[in-house]
Amino acid sequence: MIAFEHVGKRYGGRFEALAHLNFRVARGEMVFLTGHSGAGKSSLLRLIMRLEKPSRGRVVVAGHDIAQLHASQVPFYRRQIGVVFQDHQLLFDRSIFHNVSLPLEIQGVEPREAARRVRAALDKVGLLHREKALPIELSGGEQQRVGIARAVVNKPALLLADEPTGNLDPQLSADIMALFEDFNRIGTTVMIASHDLALIARLRHRILRLSDGRLVADEGAV
Amino acid sequence: MRPSATPKRQKGAALKTSRSTAKPAVEKAPRRGARSQQTRFSSRLRAWGRHHRSMAWDSFVRLVRYPVGNLLTMLAIAIALVLPAALWLTLDSARLLDAELDDSATLTVYLDLAADDAQALRIEEAVNAEQSVLETQMISAEQGMAEFQQALGLDDVLAGLDDNPLPISIVVRPESVDPAAMQQLATTLEALTGVDEVRVDLAWVERLRNLAELGRRVALALGALFGLGVLLVVGNTIRLSVESRRREIEVVMLIGATHAFVRRPFLYSGAWYGLGGGLLALCLLGMGNHWLALPVASLAESYGASFSLPQLNVTGSTILLSCSTILGWLGAWLAVTRHLSSIRPR
Repeated sequence: MIAFEHVGKRYGGRFEALAHLNFRVARGEMVFLTGHSGAGKSSLLRLIMRLEKPSRGRVVVAGHDIAQLHASQVPFYRRQIGVVFQDHQLLFDRSIFHNVSLPLEIQGVEPREAARRVRAALDKVGLLHREKALPIELSGGEQQRVGIARAVVNKPALLLADEPTGNLDPQLSADIMALFEDFNRIGTTVMIASHDLALIARLRHRILRLSDGRLVADEGAV
Repeated sequence: MRPSATPKRQKGAALKTSRSTAKPAVEKAPRRGARSQQTRFSSRLRAWGRHHRSMAWDSFVRLVRYPVGNLLTMLAIAIALVLPAALWLTLDSARLLDAELDDSATLTVYLDLAADDAQALRIEEAVNAEQSVLETQMISAEQGMAEFQQALGLDDVLAGLDDNPLPISIVVRPESVDPAAMQQLATTLEALTGVDEVRVDLAWVERLRNLAELGRRVALALGALFGLGVLLVVGNTIRLSVESRRREIEVVMLIGATHAFVRRPFLYSGAWYGLGGGLLALCLLGMGNHWLALPVASLAESYGASFSLPQLNVTGSTILLSCSTILGWLGAWLAVTRHLSSIRPR
């Protein structure tokens, strides 16, 4: 599903955020990405989302070298990936329902079908009863679940999450991770960047450990 | 609706094949064959139309939500439009832009004083026989005198004359109003027996024409200049609104919105600004008309003429509104396009 081949990323010519990255993630796999802050976890995810291009090497997603994508194709590429952000990236002037339906709106899904899928996604994250609320009325954990609902509403084959449990207490974090496992169980490839070592160690999935932009350990690979 | 979508779609399909059995049946339906291709196209077309409608409405609602600020923007647009439009109307009312101007290009053939009516008729026939003469009108000595009196208001003086000192004249409307052709026609007519003199009323026709051309150009230049002003006003307003919705734009771009999708609401805002400005401009023109109507009427009356200020007719109003709407749209397009390149999702 994802292949990094000798990938390096420099910012501003000097600072080397990522170097010599080589790894593969199979379809349907669930992978944690860990490392101290500044180790390059976010940079790696940004490369997969094609927010940036690698300075060296190739990033191949679903068989395509994504650096080759024309700028006009990038939006269509991003629609295939669900992303959960640490800071949720919700729109605060819209209801939960509208936040979750945004990806479907962008893809031009017919409104009735969209409503059905939005409610299914909200139901999955346990927030169906809050669909009319504004994000500001929700707790941090609930906001994060809205972010997850938005990421999965168009049934992406690949789900990325950047510190999804960053500001949550252990119980909420475990709930969120359980949600990701549910999506992984139905075949979605999941990649989660997290520095919550205790939590991810308990979950028994593959762990990619980054340090100073290099891959220093690949544990539990199948 | 963009052609570039096609290769991406295939990619999407490739990604989707990884879905497990838990995927709903809808997603699994085979996506091949002309029929499904067609339905997909028409459904995308519907989705596109739906987004246009919803964005048109959404941007209208945003406009109404802040009436004062937006009204001021529209007023600025209206003022920029009123000036060239008013100038154009003034020129139009002075008939300077009218094709009928050509009708006033005439030659006047003055016959010898001694010529009587029978001779005059013969000469008129001869004049009419000329190829380049469109029509003629005979003005008898008495008619000439009457016109002269009316024009000068010197009834008493002229009434004191024993003899009518004016010759019979023939007004000739030439086929061509080209100065050289008219001059040549004048020379030919002057050679006819019984003709004393041919006067070509060319100079003032030319002058009027130059004036009309000048006015037209000034109006067009002003129109272009103030049109640019409208672009800038709308562009600046849209720039601010792009800035205030920057976060929203970043988010939707993160989850796969195309530039066209992001641009759309702003384009509609721009078009609404333009349309609103155009409507206000029509109101301002109407008010100006009302304001000036009375003094213009009394002024005209004092000259014994009836003259009313020109109104913008349906065609003119439509043109004004379309122009302002298009300008608004264009201003928004320029502003958004310039700005989008600077917005990168974080």
